[in-house]
Amino acid sequence: MHRNVDIKVAVLLGLIGASVFSVPLLTADRYMLRVLTFVGVNVIIVAGMALLFGYAGQVSLGHAAFYGIGAYASAHVVTVFGWPWVAGVAIAIVLTAAGGLLLALPSLRLRGHYLAMATLAFGEIMRVAFVEGKGVTGGPDGLSGIPFPSFLGIEVDSAGGNYWLVWSAAAAVLLIASNLVRSRAGRAMLALHGSEAGAMSCGMDLTGLKVRVFVISAAFAGLAGSLYAHVVGFISPSTFSLHVSVLLVAMAVLGGTRSLAGPVLAAVILTMIPFADAVIPGLSRSAVETIQEWQEDVYGLTIIAVMLFVPGGIAGALRRIAAKGSVR
Amino acid sequence: MSLLEVRDVTRRFGGLTAVDAVSFDVHEGMIKAIIGPNGAGKTTLFNVLTSFDRPEEGTVRYDGVDITSWRAHHIVRRGIARTFQNTELFEEMSALENVMAGAHAVTRSGFLAAALRLPWTVREQREVAEESGRLLRLVGLGEWADAPAADMPHGLRRLLEIARALATKPRLLLLDEPAAGLNIAETSALAEALYRIRDRGSTIVVVEHDMGLVMEVSDEIVVLDRGCKIAEGPPRLIQKDPAVIAAYLGEEEADEL
Repeated sequence: MHRNVDIKVAVLLGLIGASVFSVPLLTADRYMLRVLTFVGVNVIIVAGMALLFGYAGQVSLGHAAFYGIGAYASAHVVTVFGWPWVAGVAIAIVLTAAGGLLLALPSLRLRGHYLAMATLAFGEIMRVAFVEGKGVTGGPDGLSGIPFPSFLGIEVDSAGGNYWLVWSAAAAVLLIASNLVRSRAGRAMLALHGSEAGAMSCGMDLTGLKVRVFVISAAFAGLAGSLYAHVVGFISPSTFSLHVSVLLVAMAVLGGTRSLAGPVLAAVILTMIPFADAVIPGLSRSAVETIQEWQEDVYGLTIIAVMLFVPGGIAGALRRIAAKGSVR
Repeated sequence: MSLLEVRDVTRRFGGLTAVDAVSFDVHEGMIKAIIGPNGAGKTTLFNVLTSFDRPEEGTVRYDGVDITSWRAHHIVRRGIARTFQNTELFEEMSALENVMAGAHAVTRSGFLAAALRLPWTVREQREVAEESGRLLRLVGLGEWADAPAADMPHGLRRLLEIARALATKPRLLLLDEPAAGLNIAETSALAEALYRIRDRGSTIVVVEHDMGLVMEVSDEIVVLDRGCKIAEGPPRLIQKDPAVIAAYLGEEEADEL
């Protein structure tokens, strides 16, 4: 029976993957491809948020900072040092992982909400650093003219190419995340979320576990930052503010716990809201501008509505549907 | 040589001495009970033995090694497992997954190997699932494998916690009031399970209120009262010990007996 379910899931994932990858073949609409590329970037970050929040039960209010560190680090080494793009990606991942480790080690030794507080402070410190560190970040004006990603001297400069690049990275990240949650490590994350005393009695090193998950989620955000910087070509501090950190938490909450699919869907929905005209034909420009003006309120109302009417978020709803299906 | 040597362990909370210079030994292969009235310091002592708490004074030696200052997860990996008075299960996980989590202590696939889904991690995972299924059947929960822990009846949750502790392959198993809230049938099933566990090679220390169970299963008993050890010995002698009777019934009633 399990095998049957596995096959169904594999077919479903294959179909979703095929349709995601065929988008650039079906449309040449640059605006739509750009918005969907941006969705892919957020999917990469939210995969880490899902591990951290949905599985390990830890809250970070500072992931936009890792997103920013990845973006600035990658942009800097490529534009200033003239390093190849792949090196920029590597630097972004290594720096954010190291930053995550430095932040997580002291704050995760303590119980309670110290991680949330520490990440909140870290996010603010980095936001100021992005604005003030003009030598590296270009200050409030940001950095522009960041070159497109390139492989072996071939520049990926088309909207479709960027889309494929970002979604390939997203697929790799989701594969890693789904491998993790189905493993001993994933069980340990769920266990420490369920009962810390119980997890300790199973021989789990709670601090070590939390630090590892945090480092992975920081590195995913760093990778996303690097991709964003090179695909968009321009970065500035506002892209990596507290507002973005909160949006990422909103995606994790709306997506629900113990799930990757839920948070990914939430990332797709919440990223698309301000760019609804990219996928809904005929939606007027002024309607979209109204949505953008009320963006925060839309997010807030969405979260409140989910908490009131859809307990467990999208993942909870999916599980209820699956349970109904299997009872028959 | 004894498997566990507890020497002069003292734990204070402010002005209260919860455990006061307690010493005893646990020999390999026995079932040893720790009893005492409410507030005697039994659970505190348990927490100290498993490094969930630290003593102000005294040492705990396990298999000849001083483990007093070890971290809890190292102690588990070294072979001491425990259960809790108020069960600490992973409610959203199935019974089988709970037991598989216990195998964390004796498996080794880390984050990197898991992220890459290396073949040996998949194999290890399959072995853990099979062994965990066996342990569930050992405690009589074979039919509950796929049920979320939260949905299980109270008595069975205690058995599930024991199965999870066994998954760590303990040489020494510490059970904190395993019979609390169990009915008579469940308690006798628990006694059977304890014998099977001992016969598989684990030494057992049990904190328990249920005197019937304690007198039936234990080879030796330590009696605590207000943090101090007041008696130690086989069940027959403990039952007749005047200090124990006094502690349980109060001084005056003891005089009348």
